[in-house]
Amino acid sequence: MVMKIVGIIFSPVIALIAGILMLGMTRKVMARIQWRYGPPLLQPVIDIIKLFYQKSPSHGVTFGAGVIISIAGAIVVFLFLPIGGLAPLSEGGGCLLIMYLMLVAPLGVALSGGEGANPYVSIGISRKLILGFAYEVTLILTFLAVMTQYGTISIVKVVEMQQTGRWSLFSWPLVIPGIAYLLILPAILGMRPFDVVSAPQEISSGPNAEYGGKYLGLMTLESGLSEFIGIALFVNLFLGGPNLWGAISSLQNSGLVVFLGVIVFLVKVFLVYFINILVQAVLPRVRVEQAVKYLWTWPAFIALVGLIIVWAG
Amino acid sequence: MDRSKLIKWLKEPMKMSNKYSLHVVYFCTGCGIIEIPPSITARWDAERFGVKPVATPRQANLFLITGYVSLKTLKPIIRTYEQMPEPKYTVSLGSCPIDGGMYWDSYNTINHLDKYIPVDGYIAGCMPRPEAIFAGVTHLWTMIDKGMADGYVKYRENYEQYRSNQEEIYADLGWPPLFGVSNQDEQ
Repeated sequence: MVMKIVGIIFSPVIALIAGILMLGMTRKVMARIQWRYGPPLLQPVIDIIKLFYQKSPSHGVTFGAGVIISIAGAIVVFLFLPIGGLAPLSEGGGCLLIMYLMLVAPLGVALSGGEGANPYVSIGISRKLILGFAYEVTLILTFLAVMTQYGTISIVKVVEMQQTGRWSLFSWPLVIPGIAYLLILPAILGMRPFDVVSAPQEISSGPNAEYGGKYLGLMTLESGLSEFIGIALFVNLFLGGPNLWGAISSLQNSGLVVFLGVIVFLVKVFLVYFINILVQAVLPRVRVEQAVKYLWTWPAFIALVGLIIVWAG
Repeated sequence: MDRSKLIKWLKEPMKMSNKYSLHVVYFCTGCGIIEIPPSITARWDAERFGVKPVATPRQANLFLITGYVSLKTLKPIIRTYEQMPEPKYTVSLGSCPIDGGMYWDSYNTINHLDKYIPVDGYIAGCMPRPEAIFAGVTHLWTMIDKGMADGYVKYRENYEQYRSNQEEIYADLGWPPLFGVSNQDEQ
């Protein structure tokens, strides 16, 4: 019971802090790759403080409500998504619930953007939904493969089973859907080469074009959270969540196990994110139809093959 | 640079965050825009001071007027300035926005930009080098610290005068006054 309350309070907070740090890390690592000094790691914090002090132009009640729905949808995911040992409400739902909840954030932005009546926002939202349709084929096939292999829809059970065996990414049939997930990860995170949604040079940063002040601050937090969701799912399903070859789970103190588990989990998340920043730094942006063509061919094909192998074996 | 002084952050978070998170709106008015790419990319790297170009005026709080202002560009400049959320700052590059510069007797440029929108700082030169832009940004920090960068307050207070100056050039501006009784929903 105490663990549950601690989890409900702390897992969104951990996700928010990690999400902001991930945004800062993107800017710093990109700068270092381009041989610049770069902003401080906490630059997004400075930006968000500034945005909350700004006067915010609004376009009505729905404009603000959509932003609130969007960030609430992103926060609610963390009640069901285990972060290390913190998994407050994970006995219900599992993969299927998270698949639905991941759709709330884009729909909130769509609701809010419609009120803004800015053509760039409409283009950005349509691109976001098209990209979502494109990568979700692979995502669902990957989830099906993992669920079939372990015979459960609960992410907590998947993590527990990887504790005794090997991580899914390094075990035979699941390595194929794992590779498919890695291939669509930039699209889930909205990073290059798939940053068609928030392309500042093409469509004036897309869905964020009309936000200023505190709305933009909330949307920055939301983008950090959704990046964290995409990678946390990968770490839970394929990299064994908080498991470190059984080193942590052998400890006796349960509080220490949870704490160290969260640390190991975050380290894994940041490592996977770092690889994605390297991809972002060297690749150019593709067009929307090129992105859809790519996402519907190779990753979907690999995921389908993986699902068939898992199902047959 | 007092960016890492925690006590100052706790005392006046608004000033500090406005200082170290200056988001510049992309807006090319004249020749000075050519100095912006080197100052934001690897050569001079303005991002280490928190200066970052953004795509829309809604997200920006610093407006760089880069060079001479023609009659045709003035209208989008006023529009962009009015769309930026407060607090907002304007800095103009080059000598043309100060008094017309080499275009002082041209038929299609304006001579004094601060008749139409408030300007918090000028960077003189034709053209100023990226170092001069950094000097200007550093000076803007000092002005924000002392509360002197209050162009947006002046714009609100003296809006009628600015508006009449704008209407001298354009008989029909195309949008209702930003402040005042005739327009209830400001922005």
